[in-house]
Amino acid sequence: MFDITTDAQNTAVVHVQGKIIGSTVAQLQEEIERQLQNGNNKLIIDLKNVPLLDSTALGVIILAFQVLQRSGGKLVLLSPQKAVSSVLEVTRLTSILEVYETEEAARNAFL
Amino acid sequence: MSETIYVSEPISSTETILVIDDDTDILALLEMSLVSDGFKVITASNGVIGLENAKAAQPDLILLDVMMPQMDGLEVIKRLKDDDETRAIPVLWLTAKTQTEDKLRGLETGGDDYITKPFDLREVTARINAVLGRTRPVKYINPLINAMGDSFTEEGVAELGSHLQAAAEIQLKLLPEKPPNFPEFDFATMFRSSTSVSGDFYDFIPLTDTRIAIVLGDVKGHGIPAALLMVMIQTASRLLSNESDCPGTVLKRINTLLFHNTDLEQFATMVYGILELDTGRFTYANGGHCPPIHFITGTGDGEQHKNSDLRVELLETGGMLIGAFDIATFSYDTCQLSKGDVLLLYTDGVTETEGREQNDFYGEERLIECFSKNLTLTAQSLCDVLKNDLLEYSGTTQLKDDRAVVVIKHTNANTTPT
Repeated sequence: MFDITTDAQNTAVVHVQGKIIGSTVAQLQEEIERQLQNGNNKLIIDLKNVPLLDSTALGVIILAFQVLQRSGGKLVLLSPQKAVSSVLEVTRLTSILEVYETEEAARNAFL
Repeated sequence: MSETIYVSEPISSTETILVIDDDTDILALLEMSLVSDGFKVITASNGVIGLENAKAAQPDLILLDVMMPQMDGLEVIKRLKDDDETRAIPVLWLTAKTQTEDKLRGLETGGDDYITKPFDLREVTARINAVLGRTRPVKYINPLINAMGDSFTEEGVAELGSHLQAAAEIQLKLLPEKPPNFPEFDFATMFRSSTSVSGDFYDFIPLTDTRIAIVLGDVKGHGIPAALLMVMIQTASRLLSNESDCPGTVLKRINTLLFHNTDLEQFATMVYGILELDTGRFTYANGGHCPPIHFITGTGDGEQHKNSDLRVELLETGGMLIGAFDIATFSYDTCQLSKGDVLLLYTDGVTETEGREQNDFYGEERLIECFSKNLTLTAQSLCDVLKNDLLEYSGTTQLKDDRAVVVIKHTNANTTPT
């Protein structure tokens, strides 16, 4: 479900595989919490292989975004597919959440 | 986010304390003191009787003397902990000052705390409350058990099911029973819930004789929590509709209310608009919701329009989804509903209806197509056509998401746009 890569600069890239709906949402939340507990406060959620996410998943991302923002960290999104992009646009989350097309660009967001 | 219901005050006056001590003066003293503190007290003057009482009465806490003839406290606690029926009952040691070694052994054996004799009665109460405070959340950890108490049985759960059914019925009653009836406009609605209670909602709020507010939204998630938030938004929009004529202001105030009164990850998307029945002007703000679709026929009611005349406008002006961010601004816009025009407001349960193939969704495009072909129909017939098309597309009546649809058709040939 998740493939995590971390580095010494407290960056964690959470590569998600598959739809984030139903019970998968709780798994994503746990994974994000684990990364925060490990002190990784720069999070990249890689949505390249996510065909769909539901509103609860959106809630988890919003929550993590705000928690990190308040604690001086940051969350960015990487390569959403069309359906996910459209959800981010309709909800206008794109006006707040940073979305990048490449991992390099996403990492540069933390500099 | 924890489901634990933490209760620090005594749940009720019926918490039972079992006191086991061979000194009857101490038994009498403690009984008097604890009863006046609201506990029910059982006393036992030796370990054997104490064990019997513990099994029979299932006290919430045991005060246990260490030094007793016949069976001492250490043996009593060992037997308590060996027995499934009494293992979970917290034990507070009563021990003489000199018995420090006993204290340590006692705690190792499973006592939760100790009180040294001679003791201050207030201290005893405080220690008891401290220990019960630790065990209360465990005892009441299951909100269902807490809510249902002795009804936590098969019949009880069935009864809860009937409560859910009642909640669903209450919710349906909160939605307008019938679409409004105006000669100039033809209204129809469609509402289906994927679970017994829904997070989708719509509302029609009469403002004046010629103006009506139209609200449609989608609260994150399903079931009771979503439904409760939905009720909150509906109430807020009904109150705010009287206070402001600006849809952007109404959304901003609902956003502030939700942000300060719900969890961060709770949010909603919604459209709030005001329809002027005499002019056909629709002034709206869209809070992160899938855009309502305005079908501009330019032909006239009852006439078969030519496809080349048809234009489609998406009502996107507004701002962020509602309730997740403190600072949010909402702009608003106006569209003109002319004769023969149709305005469609819907929740994403419609467009996210899954097809027979995996990762295939009904989508906005097919929705526009479905309506475009049928714009001469009445609002109710448009709803029916949509329902059938969704059924045909998905091949099932099982819903994965809630659905709410409002269709407004301008029918009055006499209305002149301003």
